[in-house]
Amino acid sequence: MIDARGLAIGYRGGPTVLTDVTFSVMPGERVGVLGPNGGGKTTLMRALLGELESRAGTFTIEGRQGTVPQTERSRLDYPVSALDVVLMGALGRGPWWRRPGRAERALAQAALERVGLEDRARETFGELSGGQRQRVLVARALMQDADIVLFDEPFTGLDTPSAARLTALIDALAAEGRSVLVSTHDVGQARAWDHVLCLNGRMIEFGPPEHVLTETVLAETYEHAVIRIPDGWPRGVTQSAGASARA
Amino acid sequence: MTLIGLYAFEKRALYEVLLIAVGAGLLGTWIVLRGLAFYTHAVAAAAFPGLVLAAGLGFAPMVGAAGTGALVAAGVGGASARRRAHYDVATALALVGALVAGVVLASNVFHSGAEVDSLLFGSLFALTDLDLVLAGVASVLALLGTVGLGPRWLATGFDATGARALGVRSRVPDLVLLALVAFASVATLAAVGALLATALLVVPAATARLWTNRLLAWQLTSVALTAALGVAGVWLSVRTNAPPGATIAALGGVAFLISALVNESGSLYRRRHA
Ligand SMILES: Nc1ncnc2c1ncn2[C@@H]1O[C@H](COP(=O)(O)OP(=O)(O)O)[C@@H](O)[C@H]1O
Ligand SMILES: [Mg+2]
Repeated sequence: MIDARGLAIGYRGGPTVLTDVTFSVMPGERVGVLGPNGGGKTTLMRALLGELESRAGTFTIEGRQGTVPQTERSRLDYPVSALDVVLMGALGRGPWWRRPGRAERALAQAALERVGLEDRARETFGELSGGQRQRVLVARALMQDADIVLFDEPFTGLDTPSAARLTALIDALAAEGRSVLVSTHDVGQARAWDHVLCLNGRMIEFGPPEHVLTETVLAETYEHAVIRIPDGWPRGVTQSAGASARA
Repeated sequence: MTLIGLYAFEKRALYEVLLIAVGAGLLGTWIVLRGLAFYTHAVAAAAFPGLVLAAGLGFAPMVGAAGTGALVAAGVGGASARRRAHYDVATALALVGALVAGVVLASNVFHSGAEVDSLLFGSLFALTDLDLVLAGVASVLALLGTVGLGPRWLATGFDATGARALGVRSRVPDLVLLALVAFASVATLAAVGALLATALLVVPAATARLWTNRLLAWQLTSVALTAALGVAGVWLSVRTNAPPGATIAALGGVAFLISALVNESGSLYRRRHA
């Protein structure tokens, strides 16, 4: 369960980049987080994970959190197998000097099986496809038996079959009573979930998709989204929001 | 003297490089993985003023080295707890400060003269028993750390935020890693001195990384390469009269260069024929 009231978040030594965030996620709910690039989606997730301090407001989190972060280059060049990554989900169980053992390896293998990657256990994480990497990270969240799973733009760069697979996995997580928060650019996809949270430097709206996904809210969510042309001159062009809003 | 016949001092030098190889090779992989090369260099350099002090005032060199090394390790470790930028700046300041202090002490206070060379670049052919013991202890500790804490060091490097969410909250494992690296830097002083510690602690691991994507294979290759470079360096320096520490460093550099070139041309070839 997540419950946030009037949350404001900023980076240390920098300005506040996200304000007025009030929303809640119950067990078993899927919440879509919409917003332009720089809208504050990643910032919100980092705050929920306790990495950034809130400048105002409060939030309560009940349960273990798992995270499926945005892909970073450094992670692709890291000498870990899929199984190693899943095993990281077991580290919270024991004291700091204990390494995961045989029992944990069996559980990790089972988690990989749940995401359909049992035969990829020994493959290097960075050499898997984008969709497979997302599923390995889901297996890591399963391994830690997370009550809340945060996905940061998991669909970026996935082909249609991979995206469908991930959507099914997200539905399955929620069906087991886990809270799921997913940031995405795909308005159509968010329509199928339980709640939608629109961010653009501040919270624009939160509620069930049929109330939130209106022309007005989406225009406000994607307004001021500027395309920066290479020499750095900002132009007041609304990002392809219109297109994805209609999709 | 035949090719196989070894001098007594040469044998000791070989024991030293073989004893330190396990620790240096293993920790090297963690240093590369966790971006600690600069820290390693700074801690080893920090030992220099400690060594000069010890020689000048007549106490055990290792006490001096460990003293100033630990000071820098603690300072830099503290800074790394805050921010990456602080950590880099703190490391750079510590590095410059240590070298300046060492040079001033050596040239203006104690007039240390010729021995400065061996402090900076090692004295593999004048080892004490304590040097050998220290190398062995560093290796045992590095092995224990890798077995026990390796999974945590790996998880934090992979995704620091995620690791915290996964419940890897304790800072102890990371501090143990910094301490082990500091200890190993001091333990390599006898072999390669204050300025060439990275020749054993970073270069072989960085070279081995070019050949494998798997952690265990990387660690084994790194240890084997450290040992091979150490043995070859000792052997070659006796035959050529070159300083052993510098010879090991030079061989390491050549091995890295060849590996990088072979890998680069290999990936070029693969790209062209893909
Ligand atoms: N590490 C950081 N330090 C300071 N400001 C940041 C940092 N990361 C992001 N920001 C700022 O926070 C705002 C929100 O960014 P972010 O949460 O990454 O957006 P999104 O994930 O929705 O694309 C942006 O204005 C961005 O410039
Ligand atoms: Mg983002």
